[in-house]
Amino acid sequence: MPVVELAGVTKAYENKVAVNNLSLSIDAGQMFGLLGPNGAGKTSSIRMLIGITIPDAGNVRLFEKPFERASLDRVGYLPEERGLYKKMKVLDQLVFFGQLHGLAADVARQRSTEWAKRMEIDGSLQKKTEELSKGMQQKIQLIASLLHDPELIIMDEPFSGLDPVNAALVERTLLDLKSQGKAILFSTHRMDQVEKLCDSICLINNGEAVLSGKMREIKSRYERNRVVMEFEGSSAFLTSAEIAEAKNFSGHCEIRLKEHGDAQKLLHEAAAVATIYRFELIEPSLEEIFIQTVGGKSGA
Amino acid sequence: MRNILLIAKREYLQQIRGRAFRYSTILLPLGICVLLSAMFFIGRKANSNVHVAIVADSARLANEIESELLHDKATTITVQVVAPASQQDLDTLLQRVKTKSLDGLLTIKRDADDAPSATYTSRSALGFGTQSRLKYAMNRAFLREWMSANGVKPAQVDDALKEVPIEILELDKEGNTAKSTGMAPFSKAMMMAFLLTMPILLYGMDMARSIIEEKSSRIFEVMLSVAPAEDLLAGKLLGVGAVGLTQVAIWVVGTALLTGSALAAPLLSGNLAIHFSLAEGLLFPLYYVLGFFLYSALFSGLAATCESAQELQMFMPLAIVPVWLSFGILPYLLNNPGSVWSVALSLFPATAPFVMLPRMGLENVPLWQYAVSVLLLILSIWAVLWFSSRLYRVGILMYGKRATLPEIYRWLRAS
Repeated sequence: MPVVELAGVTKAYENKVAVNNLSLSIDAGQMFGLLGPNGAGKTSSIRMLIGITIPDAGNVRLFEKPFERASLDRVGYLPEERGLYKKMKVLDQLVFFGQLHGLAADVARQRSTEWAKRMEIDGSLQKKTEELSKGMQQKIQLIASLLHDPELIIMDEPFSGLDPVNAALVERTLLDLKSQGKAILFSTHRMDQVEKLCDSICLINNGEAVLSGKMREIKSRYERNRVVMEFEGSSAFLTSAEIAEAKNFSGHCEIRLKEHGDAQKLLHEAAAVATIYRFELIEPSLEEIFIQTVGGKSGA
Repeated sequence: MRNILLIAKREYLQQIRGRAFRYSTILLPLGICVLLSAMFFIGRKANSNVHVAIVADSARLANEIESELLHDKATTITVQVVAPASQQDLDTLLQRVKTKSLDGLLTIKRDADDAPSATYTSRSALGFGTQSRLKYAMNRAFLREWMSANGVKPAQVDDALKEVPIEILELDKEGNTAKSTGMAPFSKAMMMAFLLTMPILLYGMDMARSIIEEKSSRIFEVMLSVAPAEDLLAGKLLGVGAVGLTQVAIWVVGTALLTGSALAAPLLSGNLAIHFSLAEGLLFPLYYVLGFFLYSALFSGLAATCESAQELQMFMPLAIVPVWLSFGILPYLLNNPGSVWSVALSLFPATAPFVMLPRMGLENVPLWQYAVSVLLLILSIWAVLWFSSRLYRVGILMYGKRATLPEIYRWLRAS
């Protein structure tokens, strides 16, 4: 069941087209990555998704219905630009956001306490927000977007400002929510996290989708042209005609093959002059796909 | 509606619990009391301890002036009479004025036709109070001298110059007369103007500042995902407006308790006895709420186009021109509460709250004028809210620079 459907959505500001004819669909239980360079139109797309701005053309459907504000009670949103009331106590703030999403005050209080324990900030509930670190504030903002148990979770750069320990905590939380059947859309620049967490992605550039689909399908579209080798002996094979680029770190080397380069032929050449302990033909990383796709097209 | 009330409640509680509310509630009236007391005492001091020498050809005239001046209990002028005075006496007195051991020298002369003339010489300008007292004392002395010279007996002179107090009666529409409370309506008018203006401006500006703060802290992005911009603005207006109303209520109750105490009885008697009618009690909150909504809606629209409090300050003096105008006309209003200008400004929405309430303390305002002013205020609030909510809707998501006029025009068209 598609939780989110954007069909041919377009948004222009004065002379700039921020989003052009964007279509995507996210199902329940799916983790979806919205990627793109700065100014590509990610935040503009998200803002249309939750009714902050209205598309000039195209349709936004949430929970199989045309967009209506009432649907937002089933949506949790963590914006890129974090915003909390600095002078408010953390618990009061969480209860306030919970109530805005339709929870009763006592339910919001109870859930806030539970989430605070889970996110390891229960000792700070009675503190003013301004007294907390940026990472702690980030976790409060995350809790605020999840308190009302939304079916669709939209997160703009959810890992920014978090140390590795807290980033791992947020990762586990997102995976847990996904396993509960929530649809999760997040935009980020952290390709490693998208690669690890997302089932599907949409890469946008200059407001247009340039690459979209399931992660596996996208990766399979790209040739496996990278080789990681561990060896002992001569490195003369690194001058092979099959290699476009090679980095040698004394027995460990990373090789990029030429277009249609033959990996088997390279293996034979290497085995002739050195002892091979590892020869792995790996698929391109999402980061490489990103750079390859956007690199030549970015108007930024 | 639920979210509007939640936002209003948050604004209200946040401000009521804040130190700024406590301090302004206590310190503002205290500061004004201190200021008024200081002005009163400085004014009294300015009229006291004035040392004046009176020089005249006639010792009798000079003594009469001295007697009149010393008879005035409102002042403590020290008078030195030199009559008749030689040129050397005059030179000595002028020297003393130069060295400031004498504040002024009043010289009275008569020309060949016996017409009197008077000059006052001093190192500094003569205060209004002292000037009018000298003039009053001198003219009464001339009159007394003339009457005596024309055969009027001293007792008859005293009778003729005896002051007759005026009892001021106010006539209402039904033809009933009531004794006027003297200066009380004027004090009441000033108090009404102050009680309305301070919270309306204070909380209107506070609202504008909080919009800029929230804009720079980017909280709007979160809030807009749960409520439309109009609800955010409405919630803010209700919450902050209620804070102002609470503060005024505290001041009114505090004043009522103070005026009801034994301590205040001798202070607030006679000319200073102020009584508020039921109509004033009902219309005050109404005009406060309408005035607050009008100005806060205007300030909110302005704040949404600004990036910082400094930018906002550039526009504020322009936005509060009607308030300055209302205060500027207050002296005229006090003397002419029923004039065309007073009526016009009490109907004009931007000045109505600040002019109508002081006016109603001074005269019986016709019912239709209340109705028209309230109706015009409501229509203006609607128009300003329409304008401001459009600016607000777009402006709160615009970061980086202050909006230009063409941009504001585009925002209005786009939203």
